[in-house]
Amino acid sequence: MDTLNELMGGFAAAMTWQNLLFAFLGCLLGTIIGVLPGIGPVAGVALLIPLTLNLDATGAIIMLCAIFYGTAYGGTITSVLLNTPGEAASAITTIDGYAMTKLGKAGAALTIAAVGSFVGGTVATLGLVMAAKPLGELGLLVGPPEFFALMVVGISLLVALAGKSMVKAVISGALGLLIAMVGIDPVAGAPRFTFGMDRLLDGVSFVAVIVGVFGLSELLSYRKGTTTPNVHAPNLRSLLPTGREWRRSAPAMARGTGIGFGLGLIPGMTGSVSSLLAYGAEKKFSRHRNELGKGAIEGVAGPETANNSHANAALIPLFTLGIPASPTIAVLMGAFLQQGLTPGPTLFTEHSEIAWAIIASLFIGNLLLLVLNVPLVGLWTSILRVPTTILTALILLFMVIGAYTINFSVFDVFVMIGFGLLGLALRHLDIPLAPMVLTLVLGPLMERSLRESLEISQGDFGIFTSRPISAVLIGLGLLIIFSPLLKLRKPKALNEDPET
Amino acid sequence: MTTESVTATSKTAARVAPSVLAGIGAFAAVGVYVLISSVGLGLWTSLGPGPGLFPFAMGAVLAAMSAVWLLQELRRPSETAEGVDRALVIAVVASLVVLAAVMDLLGFQLSMFLFLMYHLKLRGRRAWPSSLVTALAGSVGAFYAFNYGLNVALPVSAFPLLNTIGL
Repeated sequence: MDTLNELMGGFAAAMTWQNLLFAFLGCLLGTIIGVLPGIGPVAGVALLIPLTLNLDATGAIIMLCAIFYGTAYGGTITSVLLNTPGEAASAITTIDGYAMTKLGKAGAALTIAAVGSFVGGTVATLGLVMAAKPLGELGLLVGPPEFFALMVVGISLLVALAGKSMVKAVISGALGLLIAMVGIDPVAGAPRFTFGMDRLLDGVSFVAVIVGVFGLSELLSYRKGTTTPNVHAPNLRSLLPTGREWRRSAPAMARGTGIGFGLGLIPGMTGSVSSLLAYGAEKKFSRHRNELGKGAIEGVAGPETANNSHANAALIPLFTLGIPASPTIAVLMGAFLQQGLTPGPTLFTEHSEIAWAIIASLFIGNLLLLVLNVPLVGLWTSILRVPTTILTALILLFMVIGAYTINFSVFDVFVMIGFGLLGLALRHLDIPLAPMVLTLVLGPLMERSLRESLEISQGDFGIFTSRPISAVLIGLGLLIIFSPLLKLRKPKALNEDPET
Repeated sequence: MTTESVTATSKTAARVAPSVLAGIGAFAAVGVYVLISSVGLGLWTSLGPGPGLFPFAMGAVLAAMSAVWLLQELRRPSETAEGVDRALVIAVVASLVVLAAVMDLLGFQLSMFLFLMYHLKLRGRRAWPSSLVTALAGSVGAFYAFNYGLNVALPVSAFPLLNTIGL
């Protein structure tokens, strides 16, 4: 009952016209980012953090969350209409989604995807409501050793899933941790790796690094020959799926919700893993599995539901334990910290109204996206007709503003340029970027919990193995890291995970 | 080890792409640098772990992984990725550097206008009207939208002359 009251309070706070406007703007911007193939959710959210700097914390986080799940809706549109995923988690949708477009059923595919996304997102948010209190209380009992162990599991899982080579993924993770080390050391106050530059005492700006590594490097790796695609929005009448299509989608949506929710809870899992597995589930369990690949509605409904269910469920570990489950959530966590909010169990004790307002806005945002997305499909496709040169120039403009406004300093623009080149080099060397983002955010937290643990135990590393929960978690982490040696192969489909 | 296997290794070694070798070398160098400098920061203090401990571990990981990667490459060189469009990289990076260097002097509006015109008109070869409209919206428009709409101040010119005319 208590929870219900607080949720109602959250709705009251989220329903002010400013906050509704922020949610609406976030959905709009998120969808645009999702539609634009060049710019993914990680860079997109990071890029728009500066827009929210001077908003109050509630409005800012509401807007960034809306951007975050808006990208999941937007990514579908280009997957279905153009056969190019706007963001990684929609990649698998191209198979049946584009096949449906060729059959003239694009409208139905888009509607089912939007409804599936809504169902998945709403169920996952309900899960967040239920889990928030109990998990948050559990989170308060977690000591530094357990916290450290949990982060080890998350990072090792992401490293194991990322790209083709674990060696490269570990290099990416280590680089992220080292970048996070720059600046005044939080415990002893000693400057580290600042190269004598006063500017670096506060560390390198997180937003500038992310915008550089993810956004700028993406622009720099464009190759010639990319022309403006020729897309046609389906007409409004064709948007309504038939009764048969609804009936076939329902079980796929149910499976997708379950898969996305379950995987979203695990730190280190990305949305693309969920959508890939949801597609796999349809291949195995769907009654129409032989039609998959030729334009079956299940191939759209399953992955798209899973993708959004995952995105919203991934907020649960962030809100209750303060651990970001995926690169995009890590950026979101950076935004929380920028606003002076520490995600985690203390969020509900110290900033309870803000936390519940954000949760309430997730319901509102999912509804907004359902209402906005499908009827406005003509608008979204027209964005794709904007010539590449103009888009590139405008994205560069936003990157410069984004990097500058974090500290109102040109220095951060140079930081962004430098990390853009680093990102380009990493892409060229086929080094996955996802582990780096996660460790960049988690680095300071990991180091603090490691040092706190060792201070508790007076320097004895045994503290990680003598406490049962952390012992199990550390064991799990080691198992994941050494899985290649033990010949535990990850599913082949995950090698293609484009998000990493 | 027989001579045969030695020549075999050197043959494959020659096939490791130079950019990959350079990358491995750079990561190894960073790893070693971090290892050495973190010792200077202090690995352990009387109170427990020192500021250098965590970076030390990361430096060790980085150096070790570079070595493993090198061995992997020597055994089976990876296919090299497609090259980048060098002209594009140089144009974008150089224009950004110039923009960042002059932004505090010329102010956001003028420097961003020139930056956008370079990308739209000179590089993008768009028509004058569309270039001008987009560049004005992105410079003057963005300046006012951020200053008054979002309360985020973008820099004005350091030159009094430009400053007084609102740039």
